[in-house]
Amino acid sequence: MISRRNFLTTVAVGTVSAAALAACGQSPSQQGSAQNPVTLNYTWWGNDDRAERTRKAIDLFQSKNPDIKINGNFTDFAGYWQKRATEAAGGGLPDVMQWDLSYLRDYAQRNQLLDLGTVKINLDGFDKTLLPSGQVRGKTYGIPTSTNAFAVYYDPAKLKEIGVAEPTGKWSYAEYKKWLGDVGAKSGGKYFGGADFTGVWWQFNIWLRQKNIQAFTDEGKLGFSKDNLKEWWSLASDLRGTPAIIPPDRATQLKPKSAFGANAAASESTWDNFMAAYLKDSGAKELKLVPVPSDDQGNLGLFLKPSMLMVASAKTKYKEAAARFIDFMVNDPEVGNIFKTSRGVPASKTQREGTTFEGADKAVVDYEKSIEKYLKDAPQPPIVGFGTLEAAFLRTSEDLNYGKLTIDGAVDQWFKEAEDVIKQNA
Amino acid sequence: MTQTLTRRRGATSVPLARRTGPRGADVRAGYTFLLPWLLGFIVLTVGPMLSSLYLSFTNYNLFEAPKWIGFDNYVNLFSDDRFLQSVQVTLSYVVFGTPLKLAAALAVALLLNNATRGQGFYRSAFYAPSLIGASVSIAIVWKAMFGDNGPVDQGLSFFGINLGGWVGNPNMTMPMMILLTVWQFGAPMVIFLAGLKQIPTELYEAASMDGAGRVRKFVNITFPMLSPVVFFNLLLETIHAFQIFASAYIISNGEGGPAGSTLFYTLYLYLRGFSDFRMGYASAMAWLLVIVVGIITLLFFRTSKSWVHYSGDSR
Repeated sequence: MISRRNFLTTVAVGTVSAAALAACGQSPSQQGSAQNPVTLNYTWWGNDDRAERTRKAIDLFQSKNPDIKINGNFTDFAGYWQKRATEAAGGGLPDVMQWDLSYLRDYAQRNQLLDLGTVKINLDGFDKTLLPSGQVRGKTYGIPTSTNAFAVYYDPAKLKEIGVAEPTGKWSYAEYKKWLGDVGAKSGGKYFGGADFTGVWWQFNIWLRQKNIQAFTDEGKLGFSKDNLKEWWSLASDLRGTPAIIPPDRATQLKPKSAFGANAAASESTWDNFMAAYLKDSGAKELKLVPVPSDDQGNLGLFLKPSMLMVASAKTKYKEAAARFIDFMVNDPEVGNIFKTSRGVPASKTQREGTTFEGADKAVVDYEKSIEKYLKDAPQPPIVGFGTLEAAFLRTSEDLNYGKLTIDGAVDQWFKEAEDVIKQNA
Repeated sequence: MTQTLTRRRGATSVPLARRTGPRGADVRAGYTFLLPWLLGFIVLTVGPMLSSLYLSFTNYNLFEAPKWIGFDNYVNLFSDDRFLQSVQVTLSYVVFGTPLKLAAALAVALLLNNATRGQGFYRSAFYAPSLIGASVSIAIVWKAMFGDNGPVDQGLSFFGINLGGWVGNPNMTMPMMILLTVWQFGAPMVIFLAGLKQIPTELYEAASMDGAGRVRKFVNITFPMLSPVVFFNLLLETIHAFQIFASAYIISNGEGGPAGSTLFYTLYLYLRGFSDFRMGYASAMAWLLVIVVGIITLLFFRTSKSWVHYSGDSR
């Protein structure tokens, strides 16, 4: 529990203990040996499934590198960033960390992350169009472990049950909306068509790309207008309150599961590496993936995004050891066989080709292959403060669904917050 | 005799000399024993508070050196819709939750005070919720109870009231949060109970002889005699209510939703500081809360003169 006083105390204790820990971490030698290994702290976000896989990967690494010990630690996604913020303030970020594109610029631009160009990591197996997504101002701070692409998931069994045809993935937004409505109407209340797709930042971003609009300019400003956002949120205005999309009060109560994972909706648009999690949540036998709709079938606006990156702390004492661990996690084929597609499709060719994909994992790999010809360059790491904007986007759209805001009001509110964030971090 | 004389003379002629006498040693010993706490208090409470006061006048993102911006944070608060929302949410929680909680505590204390058998058991049973109430597990249980098809929803449906799950309904989350705090009335109840025991029984006997009924006795004897305890509880619970955080954080997944209906002041403060990296802004919010709670406490003390009766008062 955090009261005002405890809150301040927490900050102080955190700072003091982080400083103390940093002091303890000093060691005369920066190289470990099998008798006297160096210890790297490694932290990641994820569920139990990922924790188990990561532990296996760590064990494997330690058996191959007896001079390095990995001290692993994990939390869920939301808590993860709050913890990193406190650690960074105290100067005690873990040596190696799993990282997200949304926060790369925040920490890299503020000199918290190690320039990985200064250490030895093998990047031969990486697609040259993917690497810029780990770079900020020309320096490499993050190495993508894996890629994911945006997709619409659906459950073929549910569609069969209610007698709605499976989507082909070649659809305009009008067809997509009609399909969502059909599912809601024909299921007789059992399933909603999906969640409100206009609340997802990345689908908006892809829709902008389909119209050849940049979400953010190179100067770090917004690249789209209020009218663009208004048009986007209006896209679903005739669906809100109908069985096509799940009402917000239902969706809220299903959290942390999504409507799709909780078997309340027949489809969901999100990143393709959610496959394993959705299968587990919903208990479905099979889930399928198709591209998001586009009104211009020649331009789907899709791209491969690093689903996560490996980074090191700028203050780590063991740069060489950290680099070796990162190299292992992104390149080793055995690591690929441990994670399969639960991190996304392995980004490094060495790892990808050394991994056998079956069943659901194969569906994800096949999906990324099927959209290959539509892919464009991955976007650069978004602006500083992007995490805040993404959260505000979802929240504002939720208020829209609750009827607390009109579309104009929602657009104004989000732009006000966005301009404030950009001004703050300029 | 001589000793007394010297001491007295020492005391009157050289007052400072008293410090080196036996009392000075006592004082030193006292502070020595106090030192561990005092150090903790200064290092962990006063120090961070002062640094947050400084930060509240700066733009500080945790990574770069704070930039002095004067009163900007305080001024910007009042054009921040989410801040105003959080104030509104917190105030309605304090205004409705606290009196209800105290009323429940007083009512149960009155019942228990009259009970002759099993008082110890009931006292513990009613006190138990407030022992575990602030914990994370209770918030999780609460969320499940008030969710779709949870026991509350089903129970109400049985009586033909179909509200659906409270957790997802922005109009029902506040009643749910208030019920959670009311349910934890144990601590004020125990204090009320102690206060009730202090009221001399002859007052009631005299009133009975004058023909006063139960209501009359409560209004004219119990409440006035209990008023210092009521005042104490009111003050404590009000301050406590302003600080609600954990249950709101858990029930809304740390977001303050649905539709901002559980965006309590401290939750927004936390989000501003640790999610948006705006520590200066968060510090300004913290200090504004200190000031407002201070003013409210002061107002309570001012008005208390007209309704709180201490024994020995002529009024």
